[in-house]
Amino acid sequence: MTVSRRCFLQGLGVAAGAVAASPLLSVRASYAATATPYTGPVLVVLSLRGGFDGLSVVAPVGDPDYAVARPTIAIPASRALPTGDRRFGLHPALAPLKPLWDGGQMAAVHAVGTPDLSRSHFQATEELERAAPGTSLRTGWLDRVVGVAGSGTPFQAVQLGDTAPSGLLAGPEAVLAAGSLDAFSLSGSSWLGPRFATTLRALHQGVTSPAVAPATITLDALETVAALVAADRTPKNGAVYPTGGLGDAMADVARLVRGAAGLQAVSVDFGDWDMHTDLGAAGDGKMLTHLGEVAQSLAAFAQDLGSLFANVTVVTLSEFGRRVEENGSGGVDHGHGNVLLALGGGLNGGQVHGTWPGLAADKLDDGDLAGTTDYRNVLVELLVKRQGLSPSAAAGVFPGLSPAAVGLFR
Amino acid sequence: MTTPRRRPHAPAWSLVPRVNAPAARHLLSRTTYGATPESLTDVVRMGSPGAWLDRQLAPATIDDTACDAVLARWPLASATAPAVEAAISQGSWDAMEQVVQATLARALWSKRQLFEVMCEFWSNHLNITCPSSEVWSTKPWDDRTVIREHALGTFEDLLLASSTSPAMLLYLGNAESNGDAPNENYSRELLELHTVGVDAGYTHTDIINAARVLTGLSVWNRWNGGTPANQGTLRYRSDWHYVGPVQVMGWTHPNADATQGKVVAQSMVRYLARRPETAQRIAAKLAVRFVSDAPPQALVDRLAQVYLAGGTAVVPVLRALFGSAEFAASVGQKQRRPYEDIVSVARALGISAHSDPARDLGDLAWTLGQLGQAPLGWGLPDGYPDVTGGWTGAGGTLGRWNTHLGLVGGWWDNGAMVFQRDLPTYLLGASRPATRGALVDALLARLVPGATVPAQHRAALIAFLGADGPLGQGDLQWDFEPLVTLVLDMPQRSAR
Repeated sequence: MTVSRRCFLQGLGVAAGAVAASPLLSVRASYAATATPYTGPVLVVLSLRGGFDGLSVVAPVGDPDYAVARPTIAIPASRALPTGDRRFGLHPALAPLKPLWDGGQMAAVHAVGTPDLSRSHFQATEELERAAPGTSLRTGWLDRVVGVAGSGTPFQAVQLGDTAPSGLLAGPEAVLAAGSLDAFSLSGSSWLGPRFATTLRALHQGVTSPAVAPATITLDALETVAALVAADRTPKNGAVYPTGGLGDAMADVARLVRGAAGLQAVSVDFGDWDMHTDLGAAGDGKMLTHLGEVAQSLAAFAQDLGSLFANVTVVTLSEFGRRVEENGSGGVDHGHGNVLLALGGGLNGGQVHGTWPGLAADKLDDGDLAGTTDYRNVLVELLVKRQGLSPSAAAGVFPGLSPAAVGLFR
Repeated sequence: MTTPRRRPHAPAWSLVPRVNAPAARHLLSRTTYGATPESLTDVVRMGSPGAWLDRQLAPATIDDTACDAVLARWPLASATAPAVEAAISQGSWDAMEQVVQATLARALWSKRQLFEVMCEFWSNHLNITCPSSEVWSTKPWDDRTVIREHALGTFEDLLLASSTSPAMLLYLGNAESNGDAPNENYSRELLELHTVGVDAGYTHTDIINAARVLTGLSVWNRWNGGTPANQGTLRYRSDWHYVGPVQVMGWTHPNADATQGKVVAQSMVRYLARRPETAQRIAAKLAVRFVSDAPPQALVDRLAQVYLAGGTAVVPVLRALFGSAEFAASVGQKQRRPYEDIVSVARALGISAHSDPARDLGDLAWTLGQLGQAPLGWGLPDGYPDVTGGWTGAGGTLGRWNTHLGLVGGWWDNGAMVFQRDLPTYLLGASRPATRGALVDALLARLVPGATVPAQHRAALIAFLGADGPLGQGDLQWDFEPLVTLVLDMPQRSAR
């Protein structure tokens, strides 16, 4: 961390809160950190938008009510991958990740819930990403993390896949959003050569304007990305990413980690989990294909990074889980409690953490898996054990929360 | 077709200096989505910026036939909810997309520019994310009868209309709120965002009481007894209205009759609209919008007084604002956000509406979303940030530069927009500059008129073409579009 925003603003003679909206400037005072290779922790938040069906992913095969509630789509115990815990088995599509599970570099927390009980995608996503129920905060929790622990480089917070701002990173901290690293380039440069960027840089020198700092950061970032892409064109260690947006994004994350450009937090979206129809049994359906893409992408990511994977924490979030009972269309409707997957270093791996509430009718929350572990407790533990935040700083990211240990991280 | 030309009674825009060009440019820059030769000509024709402003504050007096003709291609953008529900399938986003595209079209082509800017301002103040699934059939009517109806009326009427607008009631959960367990979502935002603000000293009890007051304001739908004639319209449910004395800040009401909940809610909303804290917030927001990111408190205080003295009327506040010394002194103090930036570039390039009614503006709206500012698309109830700090991400800056080049190069030629076929003639007129220096000067005069351009910036633009001297072969051909783009990328042009 370089200079706190409050100090920076005071230095500019700007009173914090002088306007109703966010502080005026989020551009850090120093970009010196770009010159120093960053080898600290990296947090990858994989947003599984649409309502991820945790009951298919880490299937409660040992719960007798599971197969009853889902006569056509439950994962049979015989087909599930063993987790070492007879209560749960992994969806067969997670086979590429089984070595990480067995090697202690993957774990799950089951029956994770949010304080928000909305079954609306929009409202639930907003609350999940804001993570400040009952308060007036309008920022995303990941933005607040960067606010207290950001490295100050243009690459401290990156969003890949979609450049429209994610709610996770909503707020005052500068975010580098790009469709992909290869797409992070200046149109026109391909046929005009360097003179286009050279002129842009000259036009942003020798003038006082709020546009200068963002432009300078952008031009620097373009150079960094170009160098990084040129130096690191292919995955390492024989990793092969699947075709598709998630594989492309994770390959880019690996390049950013290896490039030591200062990446601390990255948001990656992989949606389309709203499986009201044709979710499929163990051997077919949408879940097999879609979850398979997640598994192949993350397995390739771990292999690509090799020993650097120990510096990384990948965590999955989704706005809600799905109904325990399948519907008449071979799918499941919006529900509540869910599974959270974590990969990387520092885990108490190969385990399903959390408190399993059971699927008996009297244990359900309005027909849904009850949430017994607040997802914010998982994140607080992650921020303290993995990202180096003090317990008070981590708790401060989630106002109103009294943190409780989960045991996911060592 | 939009090449600047002399009309019989209209002096050319180059004659603007006679009406105090810097003041005219400043006013146009803040009150429109980008000055154009045509809008500067209008100021000249009217004799003064003040006369132009008077006209803009009476938008019905401005002939907008051409823009209205374009808007006809989005009939659902202003339709009633029952009409929308009859026209498209349940939950379809078509009507909301039409509102978005009609909004964008007006920003690009309406002559009632200040009215459009104010519609945008109030749409953010009373934000209803569009598109968002709850308001699939009701947002058009909100846009028409809340925002557009009252944008230059009184805030009190605007807020009253909003508080009974089905879109707002659905968006903030009031449609499902009943007296047994009031949903506090809308009441919280009504106090915190729409009126007095989070620091006004109200308590959680005030929020609960405001929520009780609002119970019963609901919406007809096909599952609660609605008919095709009333789906998506206001339904007052006396059976859901909380009955009993209520107090919100200094306002009290016996609230004894379940059938009179609407009247009680109106009384509360009127009270909140006239609170001094509300006056301060509206005044401050307008000052942030039009003057600077941190406007002088003395100005805000004066505007708040005008707001209260005028019974919450908007126009007197705007007159006081644009007539203030603080406004005059604020040249260069606001930055264009992505929406203002891209629309202003399109206007500067003379991009006009396609005559084919089947064409839409979906591509441009999507691009604005990628830049972080889809029209009406902010995902939270508080509206887009209106200060520079909200818009400094590297992806956004790069996206703007790349979009500038795309607009200059006419890469959207399949959409609703028609690009100038001969951009050099559009920007330079019929004559051609003799030298590279003269070419750069002409583009600066046209695209960043009145800006202070350091010699080194001028030199950098010339150097992009090569050594100064006679025009080179590519200067008006393959290098022309990137050169125009570079001028549009200049920090002097990012100021609003």
